[in-house]
Amino acid sequence: MGNVNVNIDGRKIRVREGSTILEAATANGITIPTLCHIKGQVPSGVCRVCVVEVEGSKTMMGACHTPVAEGMVIHSKSPKVIAVRKVIVELLLTAHTGDCVNDSNAENCALHNLASDYEVGAPHFNVRNPRFYPAEESNPYVKRDMSKCILCRKCVKVCGEVVRKDVLSIGYRGFKSKVVSGFDEALTAEACRDCLKCIEHCPTGALSAPARV
Amino acid sequence: MAEKRIVLSKCGSIDPQDIGTYIAKGGFSAFIKARDKMKPQAIIAEVKKSGLTGRGGAGFNTGLKWELARNAKAKAKYLLCNADEGEVGTFKDKYILSNDPFGLIEGMCIAGLAIGAQQAFIYLRNEYHFLYDPLVRAVGQVREKGYLKHMDIQVFEGAGAYICGEESALMNSIEGMRGESRYKPPYPPTRGLWGLPTIINNVETLMNVPHIINNGAAWFSAIGTGRSKGTKVFSVSGDVSRPGVYELEMGSTLRELVVGLAGADDLKAVQIGGATGNILPASMLNTPLSHETYLGSGAVVALNSGRDIIDVVQNDMHFLNDESCGKCTPCREGTEVMLEIFGRLARGEGHEGDINSLDALARTMAVSSLCGLGQAAAVPVLDSLRYFYNDYIDRINQSHFLRSYLSGELFKSEEGIR
Repeated sequence: MGNVNVNIDGRKIRVREGSTILEAATANGITIPTLCHIKGQVPSGVCRVCVVEVEGSKTMMGACHTPVAEGMVIHSKSPKVIAVRKVIVELLLTAHTGDCVNDSNAENCALHNLASDYEVGAPHFNVRNPRFYPAEESNPYVKRDMSKCILCRKCVKVCGEVVRKDVLSIGYRGFKSKVVSGFDEALTAEACRDCLKCIEHCPTGALSAPARV
Repeated sequence: MAEKRIVLSKCGSIDPQDIGTYIAKGGFSAFIKARDKMKPQAIIAEVKKSGLTGRGGAGFNTGLKWELARNAKAKAKYLLCNADEGEVGTFKDKYILSNDPFGLIEGMCIAGLAIGAQQAFIYLRNEYHFLYDPLVRAVGQVREKGYLKHMDIQVFEGAGAYICGEESALMNSIEGMRGESRYKPPYPPTRGLWGLPTIINNVETLMNVPHIINNGAAWFSAIGTGRSKGTKVFSVSGDVSRPGVYELEMGSTLRELVVGLAGADDLKAVQIGGATGNILPASMLNTPLSHETYLGSGAVVALNSGRDIIDVVQNDMHFLNDESCGKCTPCREGTEVMLEIFGRLARGEGHEGDINSLDALARTMAVSSLCGLGQAAAVPVLDSLRYFYNDYIDRINQSHFLRSYLSGELFKSEEGIR
């Protein structure tokens, strides 16, 4: 495969054909935020915060999964892109019921940081029933607080494609989607062992290591 | 203007359970011509030249799509017929499948020759379960006649999800995975079902193919408008006196269809293209229906002056929220937030900020959602805001009135009502 020429935010960049917009941008020091992308894994394209404007396209493209093409002109920080990203982050904040304000780990929350980078502030949208699930501590290795989950599916991906255990999957549909184990059962110590990979990748702290007694 | 029946030309005059009646009407002559006298490239060239476009809503040039799959190098190729007619108010494919299944199968046989597919599927929506056996029997009769030597057709029944009418979710469904859409590119003609080149065509698109082969591309491209060739089958429902399936030349006006043929009276608005369709006020009845203007899947729902547009949009949103697969953020969260806003407007708890929120949400969803569902979910909202803005203002004023009335402030100031 040869190289292609693209233009990102006015910079002329030469990258390997077949790489994604995100890879091209990152390699050249242009930051595009992501919540659901795991470097080196097949992109999932679910969180949509990495959307960028591509000239000639009616809709915005997810940078993490769109391959570059010769002559592509990309805007990753245009006012339109920023406006769309802000709404997406605001939507993620809306349905989520974690106690970010009191949380001592808030600075580790990728969503919290993204919201402050983009100056989103308190969301002004409402939902009928914000997601609320009781925190689950039945597993000695993983504490699950699904109220904090933003459904980025990184844990599902890591569990299936990296660790190859397939313990976690997506259950239900639409707004009621939830990361479940089995048929939405408790995550038992039999099903899930101590690889802790999902905790490593969780952007919001929905999955965490339980406090040692 | 009267109807122009091409796709529906055999509906009603053949027995859908007897291939003999179809052949007696000239059926399978196009397939035999394509098989014996034409090379695959020639079939594709003919379809491409005819200007046939996808009838499912997107309107992509069918011949061009076939060419992409033909040129893709792979060990196997697939042909899928999208009969997951889930769009609200669309029932044209049901009419076609119940009255002329052989026309579809002939179209598929020709498409299979053109792209070099060995396996084809008809993805039938679960709600059309009553068509499963007749379709399987029809495929069996075609097989017995020896027209299916190059390719096999399997009827695949969906599980009842609207999203599975979206081509990538449809493929996921056949593969046995969750019915969720995939990101594009790669597009199905290069990497589709099980990672192999796949062509997905709507029932109506494939129905056109035998007519193009028989009568030639020039005949077909003489019908219709600049970019939209041929005819379109519409499903008309709602406040009309003669609801049903009508086939009209592309570019016919909305008035001919809704008022002339279906007999609508006292119209307030028309929704074209189902729950994710455009809502046009009655003043725009002279709009021609084509890919250049409005078309979608051909669902036309007439709304008379007794209907409240905001209720209609709320109903659409309720449906879309229920049917969102939950994969990408804008659609999953956006439809829920919109539904909350419409719920408050309906209960009399709206405020001015709601219009801005709806507008911002709709614009975001339209450009950033992963698939067509989320992108198009914004369409009725944006259209109602554009053409029926005053309805929203009325609702908000009513909300103010209710609040002031309940708190006894109505007589203190006029501010609330304005």
